[in-house]
Amino acid sequence: MAEAEDALADVFRVEWPKLIGAAFRIVGDLQAAEDAAQDTLVTALDRWPLQGVPDRPGAWLMTVCRNRARNLVRDSGREQQRIESLRRLPLGQPGPDADQQQIADDRLRLIVMCCHPLLPADAQVALTLRMVAGLTTEEIARGFHLPTTTIAQRVVRAKRTLRQHRVTFADGEVDVRDRLGSVLDVIYLAFNEGYLPGGGQAVTREDLAREAHRLACMLTELAPGEAETWSLRALLSFQLSRWATRAGPDGTLITLEVQDRARWDRALIADGIQALARARLGGRSALLLEAELAACHATASSFAATDWNAMIDLYDELAAMQDSPVVALNRAVAVAMAAGPEAALPLLDQLTRDPSLRDSHRVWAVRADLHRRAGHEEAAIADYDVAIDLVGNQAERNYLEESRRRAAATRNEDLAVKKPGTKG
Amino acid sequence: MSVYLLAGIRRPLDSDLTLAVAARDVIALRAWHGSLRRWGLLESFALPRDPVSEPRACLVIRATGEEAAAQLAERWGRLSGYRVTVLALSTTTGRTGGLS
Repeated sequence: MAEAEDALADVFRVEWPKLIGAAFRIVGDLQAAEDAAQDTLVTALDRWPLQGVPDRPGAWLMTVCRNRARNLVRDSGREQQRIESLRRLPLGQPGPDADQQQIADDRLRLIVMCCHPLLPADAQVALTLRMVAGLTTEEIARGFHLPTTTIAQRVVRAKRTLRQHRVTFADGEVDVRDRLGSVLDVIYLAFNEGYLPGGGQAVTREDLAREAHRLACMLTELAPGEAETWSLRALLSFQLSRWATRAGPDGTLITLEVQDRARWDRALIADGIQALARARLGGRSALLLEAELAACHATASSFAATDWNAMIDLYDELAAMQDSPVVALNRAVAVAMAAGPEAALPLLDQLTRDPSLRDSHRVWAVRADLHRRAGHEEAAIADYDVAIDLVGNQAERNYLEESRRRAAATRNEDLAVKKPGTKG
Repeated sequence: MSVYLLAGIRRPLDSDLTLAVAARDVIALRAWHGSLRRWGLLESFALPRDPVSEPRACLVIRATGEEAAAQLAERWGRLSGYRVTVLALSTTTGRTGGLS
């Protein structure tokens, strides 16, 4: 039963953006297209339990949705206007292949439209997750730890903005290249929000990250000629492969160093490797380098066996492309692993003074860890205290507090050894 | 056994339809209809030509009496989200089976 549910849920997830895209082509309005898609699912809910799931559920849903969209146009009194626009379309019915191609293109057009530059980034993410991934406003709100009304308002405003500016599907070939950057950014942002949540109790929000990964895979199917889409797919596949090992049963954060690599998802790693091979056919880009870095971890047999020197080279190349303190922070970690903590601590000292990093717990947590590895427990405790003050995620806070406790215990043992008279 | 018509009218959705929940509901309802058939309680069903017209679905069921019909209606309403109206079509048919 659960297997049938999952299979059917997958059908709905795959078909949802196709339905929205097809309905939008008819009604020319995102809200009405969403209504038509929603009505279609409700119709399936009415009929499939009695009539059985059709042999070709996707085709069934598409037919119902198109009919519903036409009825909405007719009922809305905009019939004449829409009929005029339909008359301008080429004569004749498209054949099955042409129809399939149009459906695929419309999904791509939908993603591109949801990431329209008129919309703020948070609205792009919310609209993409609603329209393309089919998440409800409640699910999105849960993912972002925001009130449902906030997400609902973002989605409504975004749809209104697109309507007011008459944003619609452009005819002809889908021009992905111009907008690809913002589409990839939106998917990556959604993934990171699931993978590295800034707030809340859990270390991860699985649904959000998995949906973002699914969108990245969909993008490679829709725009296979764009190397950047493969870079993103590779990166997210590698990251997601570690999902099951990133937190303990009680939600405690488990760092890369001590994760059980035998439990990493081999299928996702294989997918990442294949996607990376496709991505390498394009030029060097920041996203490709991030995927290469993720591959270094995903393909290493152990933490110690990681090729840290290759990672330093990749970080150097990345830093030359984007002068980011986050890249510098990650590079410093690689330096510490390759050459020891003492080699990396001066880099960290510099980064804790960087205005864009000093309010982030990560830089303090990394320096605390390096101090601990170097045997500077006092300095480590001080840095853990700063990191604990700044961290928003409860699971990360628990991890930092535990690390601080361990550093304090080591310091106390050292003090006891130095003062033998005090030891019992 | 008596024959009853259950007419399901869809209540307005109070939020977006969750895709996973929609899949779960389809499977659960299908299983429930299957069990009605196996027990000989489902005589037939009808669906409107226009998918959004009401009632959304009708079941013709056999039950031992009004109370049993009401129980089946209540269960159908819970699984489907319909508001269900029960109408007695005939009482005490010659056939036996099901829950009798």
